[in-house]
Amino acid sequence: MPAFPLLHLYLTLVGARVRGQMQYRVSFALSAFGQAFITIIEFGAIVVLFSRVPRIAGWSLWEVALLYALAETSFSSAEFVGSALDDFQLRVSQGTFDRVLVRPLGAFFQVLAEELALRRLGRVLQGILVLILALHNLALVWTPDKVLVLALGLASGMVIFFSIFVLAAAFCFWTVEGKEATHVFSYGGVTLADYPLDVYADWLRRFAIFVLPLAFVSYEPALYLLDRPDPLGLPSWLRLLSPLAALGLALLARLGWSVGVRHYQSTGS
Amino acid sequence: MRLPALLALYAALVRLAFRRQLAYRTANLAGLLTNAFFGLLRASLFIALFTSSGTQTTASISGYDLQMAASYTWVTQALIMVVNLWNWWDIETTIRTGDVVTDLARPFSYLGYWLARDYGRAAYFALFRGLPGLLFGQLTFQAGLRWPEGPVAWLLLLLSLSLAIAISFAWRFLLNISAFWTTDARGAGGLYGALVLFLGGFVVPLRFFPDWLQPLLFSLPFAGIIQIPTDIFVGRLGGLAALEALATQALWALLLLGLAQLTVVFAVRRVSVQGG
Repeated sequence: MPAFPLLHLYLTLVGARVRGQMQYRVSFALSAFGQAFITIIEFGAIVVLFSRVPRIAGWSLWEVALLYALAETSFSSAEFVGSALDDFQLRVSQGTFDRVLVRPLGAFFQVLAEELALRRLGRVLQGILVLILALHNLALVWTPDKVLVLALGLASGMVIFFSIFVLAAAFCFWTVEGKEATHVFSYGGVTLADYPLDVYADWLRRFAIFVLPLAFVSYEPALYLLDRPDPLGLPSWLRLLSPLAALGLALLARLGWSVGVRHYQSTGS
Repeated sequence: MRLPALLALYAALVRLAFRRQLAYRTANLAGLLTNAFFGLLRASLFIALFTSSGTQTTASISGYDLQMAASYTWVTQALIMVVNLWNWWDIETTIRTGDVVTDLARPFSYLGYWLARDYGRAAYFALFRGLPGLLFGQLTFQAGLRWPEGPVAWLLLLLSLSLAIAISFAWRFLLNISAFWTTDARGAGGLYGALVLFLGGFVVPLRFFPDWLQPLLFSLPFAGIIQIPTDIFVGRLGGLAALEALATQALWALLLLGLAQLTVVFAVRRVSVQGG
């Protein structure tokens, strides 16, 4: 028996998927490049915007780049680990989820081990690259607490997005047709977190702070790293709460998933 | 086939494709919600560009005033499904399953068959996805959107949109039909998706790019998919300049559709049907 049997099993299972992806080499290379390219383009768009205006809502190019990099890196790594979750509606509608339920292992573990889309690493690398560029150009004065806030911010962001993916997958236990609506929170969520919260309407800001904690992915950690005053006048300890927000959403996702599995009735096909 | 009969046939194909989409109501509603939310985010960002230096507002950026810029985001958002920017693999699927044989055997143009269906699909999305999205933008932006002014502008928009659909269709057709030669069509599709987002003027208007780059950007076959119809809609493009832009669109539509027809000829030679 290996030391960590579950981890060993996970690596064996996703390893098979990865070998499968490698059978279509050109397609793999193109789509990995495509993923990286899309991110470059999104960042390119920010640069183009800043070629026409000096600041957006008081934020400079590299300050926005920091927000963007925090959001992209955490989103894309969550998307990478949760590769199996984004077409989960197919598993429900085609009835293949039943297979998972009859095997003697946790359903969530099995679903997660079913896919690992290696091409998504392209987007992760881009996020990290922009992060390095932004930090380099901002010339921050680094203190141990800032290093900690950065690391915890990235980890929390990843947990927040991963939880959103889990909730979106759990949503499929009730309806498979409306899956695209969950993109509002996943893809919409990362887009929202790419830019300073200051550009959005009041209700959207409140939503991102108090309901779906997207503000804690990039905005709040960035305020701390940049020593910026909060234009919304919220207390400064709020910017340290990313891990707590992530934990809260993760617990909610766990609950949502288990309620969903219990609610699940096979299509019978 | 005589011309009236041919026209009737294509009109029937357009209608059928339109009606086919009507079956996906929930999916369309979910898509509409997503498009509207993204529209809201993008419009907020573009509006913020005009108040970038605190209280002072900028009058115009690259020839767009505040209302035009906000409208730009809503119009491009409304166009996503009309010109079908991403993920259209209907033909590729038929090539993989072999159903393509039935379509090729039909006694009329294979390219025309799919083009007619694409216009039907586009008409559906213009009415049930694009228009509601625009109305949502109209309601959420205080000043309202900038709509085309006068019958001439509407006519130009209609022409430009028809050409935009043809250009986008030709690209998608070429990507799909490449499945006759390669199993990697979808990989290339991802790359195309990224290109059209940026070079089509979806993410950022092409006019925001450096001035020296613009003649090149506007002559590429991507500007005609999003940028040109949107500019005509918001009133950034009109008169002679609009006609010139339409001519560029028409040229690319003809060229790409011609190329598509040529690939069909070569593709047919590769098909071998097993009797059974």
